Amino acid sequence: MSISKLSKTDFKEFVDGLLSSGKMVMGVQAHGERFAFDVLKSAGDLRLDYDVTILPPKKYVLPQVETLLTYTLPEQYKSQYQEGEMILLGVHPYDMAAINQMDILFSQDQYDTHYMLRRKKMTIIACDVATPSKNVFAASMGTATVHEGYDILLTDIGDAYVIEAATDKGRSLVQGAAGLANASAQDEAARQAVWDKNKIELNKHPLKCKPSDIPALLDKAYNHPVWDEKARTCFACGSCNTTCPTCYCFDVQDDVSWDRTAGKRYRAWDGCLLENFATVAGNHNFRKARADRFRHRLYRKGKYVPAKIGGRIACVGCGRCITACIPDIANPVAIYNRLVEDLGVAPKK
Amino acid sequence: MSKPRVAIFDFACCEGCQLQIVNLEEEILDLIGAVDVVEWREAMAETSEEYDIAIIEGSITRPEDEDRIRTIRSRAKILIAIGACATIGGINKLKNNFDLDEVRNCVYGEAGQMEHLETGQTKAVDEVVKVDYKVHGCPMTGSEFAYVVRCLLMGKTPEIPDYPVCVECKMKENVCRWEYGEICIGPITRAGCGAKCPSAGFRCFGCRGYVDNPNVEAAKEVMDKYGLTVDDLRSKLVLFGSKQRPTYE
Repeated sequence: MSISKLSKTDFKEFVDGLLSSGKMVMGVQAHGERFAFDVLKSAGDLRLDYDVTILPPKKYVLPQVETLLTYTLPEQYKSQYQEGEMILLGVHPYDMAAINQMDILFSQDQYDTHYMLRRKKMTIIACDVATPSKNVFAASMGTATVHEGYDILLTDIGDAYVIEAATDKGRSLVQGAAGLANASAQDEAARQAVWDKNKIELNKHPLKCKPSDIPALLDKAYNHPVWDEKARTCFACGSCNTTCPTCYCFDVQDDVSWDRTAGKRYRAWDGCLLENFATVAGNHNFRKARADRFRHRLYRKGKYVPAKIGGRIACVGCGRCITACIPDIANPVAIYNRLVEDLGVAPKK
Repeated sequence: MSKPRVAIFDFACCEGCQLQIVNLEEEILDLIGAVDVVEWREAMAETSEEYDIAIIEGSITRPEDEDRIRTIRSRAKILIAIGACATIGGINKLKNNFDLDEVRNCVYGEAGQMEHLETGQTKAVDEVVKVDYKVHGCPMTGSEFAYVVRCLLMGKTPEIPDYPVCVECKMKENVCRWEYGEICIGPITRAGCGAKCPSAGFRCFGCRGYVDNPNVEAAKEVMDKYGLTVDDLRSKLVLFGSKQRPTYE
């Protein structure tokens, strides 16, 4: 790990250098009155002071639609993989934590070659949060800061960025950047101050228990009335799924050519709140009730996925589902806190 | 294997959905190569009484239309309704909110009493005959139509979305229209359009009809939350939702 710093002017030069390197750079930019990751064309468009993007950078790690294979009759098929290197620029800690979870999930059990090859060609430049969004609660989930997964971590300390190159990929990228200087003790202290501040401020919805209490809490909550109460006004629109950085479910479909001699198999984002998410052969839907699907999402985040990834809770506190939910029922903290009140856990230290 | 014979018919509509077929451009050659089009008034002179697949645009509005669609149904193995007029009655159903004599008078004046202008309650095609597949939208989406036909050629059931427009709207990373205080009916409207209207800065107009199981109660409660009334909501639903159950619940 090497910690250095770049003035904001030099940083802009550095970004322009990345843009001329031939790699795709996806950076955070203004998008209407909100923010979004998009192809970065000029360093001037980069907005590292953003609060939260509408969609998480998941859209690059797990594309919305991805062709897995193409085939031509008779019996010729070819796996399809995404070509080219990509740099994600401006990933917030909570989104980095989500990608770290997906890296575990897609490499365990059935190793997902499509996902993993894409990840290997990806460089992630994370950045600490400079502006808290209105619904962020990352501090409650332990993701206000992140210390793994990225190649480079940027922290805005006023007139400069502290730059931590954590991998060989990261080091080779910053090496030789004009104006690069070693970070001083004061710079590192300034970075620590940003972290300390974010661990307090990124908490618009404080959770009344430790994240690690959630699986045991849910063990007692399967028949709790909160699922019916909340799901009564659920549109089953799946916006809590589509905007979630840790939701990774997909559906696989085939499409054939007009002459039926060729075709492709692709996957596309799916969401467990959608009416037919659990519809299987024979048209049987084993989670037909909205409340069943609503509960399933919270159990995935708080119990089922944690069991697969060493206990990490699969909610990173980005708050996107809270913002996206029109009837305002999706807030995971509101639900977990209600369960804490009704069912009890050891109080948060 | 012989090619399936396809006939395309229109009822009360603007023919915009048939135009979507023509607009397939390069793909239309593939379509014509894969099927045998035996009747299509908008594009050819020939007619036929023998076909396997009947494609219907438009809603059923006159007594003689009902006889005609029943005859078509009896001849076709598969019947596909295309576009909002055929799948849900569409804008044509606005007529059902008024007295029929008043409607005739409003449109045709005194001439409205002429016999050939006899009109009835507007119906979606499936209110008269069985419909096997629906390609929704006003107009329908050409690529979805092409996908449905390709599935049928394979003998497989096409996947028609039964989830709200919000899914596709979020994928487009649009700022939610509700954040601007607009009544967008995307949350209860069937997706498949790629959220065209919200992506262009408008609210969803509901042209693909309701999802199979719309949460009307939720829609009503949300109006309260935003300081709006159920009548405000209903005024947005009648364009494509006239005389459909959820509009009046």
